[in-house]
Amino acid sequence: MRMTRQPYSGQRMPRKYSITLLLMLILIPAALLILVPYLWMLTTSLKVRGTTGLPPYLIPNVFEFANYLKAWKAAPFLRYYLNTGFVAVVLIFARILLGSLAAYAFAFLRFPAKNILFLLFLGTMMIPFQATIIPSYLIIRDLDWFNTYQALIVPRMIDAFSIFLLRQAFISVPRDYLDAAHLDGCSHWQSLWRIVVPLSRSTVVTMALFTFLFSWNDFLWPLLVANSEQMRTIQVGLQIFAGRYQTEWTYMMAGTVTATLIPVIFFIIAQRSFISGMTRSGLKG
Amino acid sequence: MDFQAGRSANWFTRLKNSDLPTAALFLLPSLVIMGVFNFYPVASVFFLSLFKWDNLSKIKTFVGLDNYISLFQSSRFWNSLKVTGEYTLVVTTISILLGLILAVILNNRFLMGKSFWRGLFFLPVVTPTVAAAMVWILLFNPGFGFVNVVLRSLGFDGLNWLADKIWALPTVMTLGIWRRVGFTFILYLAALQSLSKEYYESAEIDGANFLDKFRFITAPLLRSTTIMLVILGVIDSFLVFDQVMVLTRGGPANVTEVIGMFMYTSSFSLFKLGYGSAISVIMFLIVALFTIFQWKFVGFGSAEEAE
Repeated sequence: MRMTRQPYSGQRMPRKYSITLLLMLILIPAALLILVPYLWMLTTSLKVRGTTGLPPYLIPNVFEFANYLKAWKAAPFLRYYLNTGFVAVVLIFARILLGSLAAYAFAFLRFPAKNILFLLFLGTMMIPFQATIIPSYLIIRDLDWFNTYQALIVPRMIDAFSIFLLRQAFISVPRDYLDAAHLDGCSHWQSLWRIVVPLSRSTVVTMALFTFLFSWNDFLWPLLVANSEQMRTIQVGLQIFAGRYQTEWTYMMAGTVTATLIPVIFFIIAQRSFISGMTRSGLKG
Repeated sequence: MDFQAGRSANWFTRLKNSDLPTAALFLLPSLVIMGVFNFYPVASVFFLSLFKWDNLSKIKTFVGLDNYISLFQSSRFWNSLKVTGEYTLVVTTISILLGLILAVILNNRFLMGKSFWRGLFFLPVVTPTVAAAMVWILLFNPGFGFVNVVLRSLGFDGLNWLADKIWALPTVMTLGIWRRVGFTFILYLAALQSLSKEYYESAEIDGANFLDKFRFITAPLLRSTTIMLVILGVIDSFLVFDQVMVLTRGGPANVTEVIGMFMYTSSFSLFKLGYGSAISVIMFLIVALFTIFQWKFVGFGSAEEAE
């Protein structure tokens, strides 16, 4: 028989459990407040049509997966997915490409008016999107770009914050690496993609994740410039769908689950990168 | 003369030794896009705000500051500022308080399953606002919405939340808070985790209890994070649009019409583009002011720099 000879833990353990219990008493109700919307959305999306008004229950006794089929038939959610996914992927690559080029210039190249230009770029961070939306809308109109992918992509291909984040990561790359590469005859283009970007991988990943989240959740701009049935992105599609099936709660929630699922899955997979990226940059979602 | 020549030679050699061609090439794409979709629109919106221009018609009439004057005389404009102010105040304050409480709890060394809790409370941040707003419509449905069901089971009367002149704005606020807490909480948690344990240990030796430790060690050290969260929160809430658009469109009777919604309605429902531009300019000036505060007090939105 093993007698405990651990006076320290013998005294400590009960305290540990009582504190944990106390914390759980606060955390569990808080967690419920966070989770109720998800649970309600999920169960409603699986209820039999017309039973949402009955005495409410959280777990349906019949799982009506057909709601999803009907929602997907009533609105082209697949098309919305493809539109959103396409825009997101192009934006991610564009921001990595253009952002890295600009950040490299600001981090390593010597040229006149560099600081002024950098400040000018950073200055755009204080311009709220709603301040430029009317002129941007007019530009898209003049270019005849309504309901095109370029309207959703081109204005967003670069942003000051990506350049800023990348530059911060780039300047921590040891200068010696670059000097050595240049002695070996590497061009700036080559040292950017072979040395600087690979060494700044975590920042690039953070930026890609936020760009993905941004395009998946984006609403106002696509609503204004790409509102045809074929060109809608997922959030705009969901809003229009909800307007049409206002009282069909089961279908509406099936559509809502559809619009929520991808970012949530992404987050569960890449939780660590998301959270560390957000704490490092203080960036909003 | 000599001085002049020396200076220009210096300038010339500096240019010759610079990487100007490469830099120009590397910066060109960003400059073009920023130029067309950031710099030009800012200048343009100031310009447009001086015109009366309705329905995208061919006629633009120069009216000077008339748009601003009629804005300042419009009770709808002041109402939208008031609503935005209330929204900003409540959402920023409550989400900072709740985020701080959660962070302190999650920072406790005895708590188990930390990464699970952290992920759970962060989840709303990555949830699309439009989708969340759809669920809010359902939760606050007067008939069978979760909120009224719970209230009725407790013996209260339910309300038609989003159509109620008193309760519509608080209902919109709950969504803002729900989405914001994960953000404030995660930044506080990062700040707490960076605090040295030694402070706490020596305080414990001195007999400090939980509240003492919080008040005399944690709170002062969290000051910079708090300042950053206040400024970021104010900017973010000031620009709120998506949830208002989906939940109420500013109604009932404009009680939820935040300035972003007012700007959208004026510009893209009524197509009063000059007037809408004037609202845009005011939004820009207010946000720029707060951004300058942020840069002055916190740096470029970086939590690390904040510490």
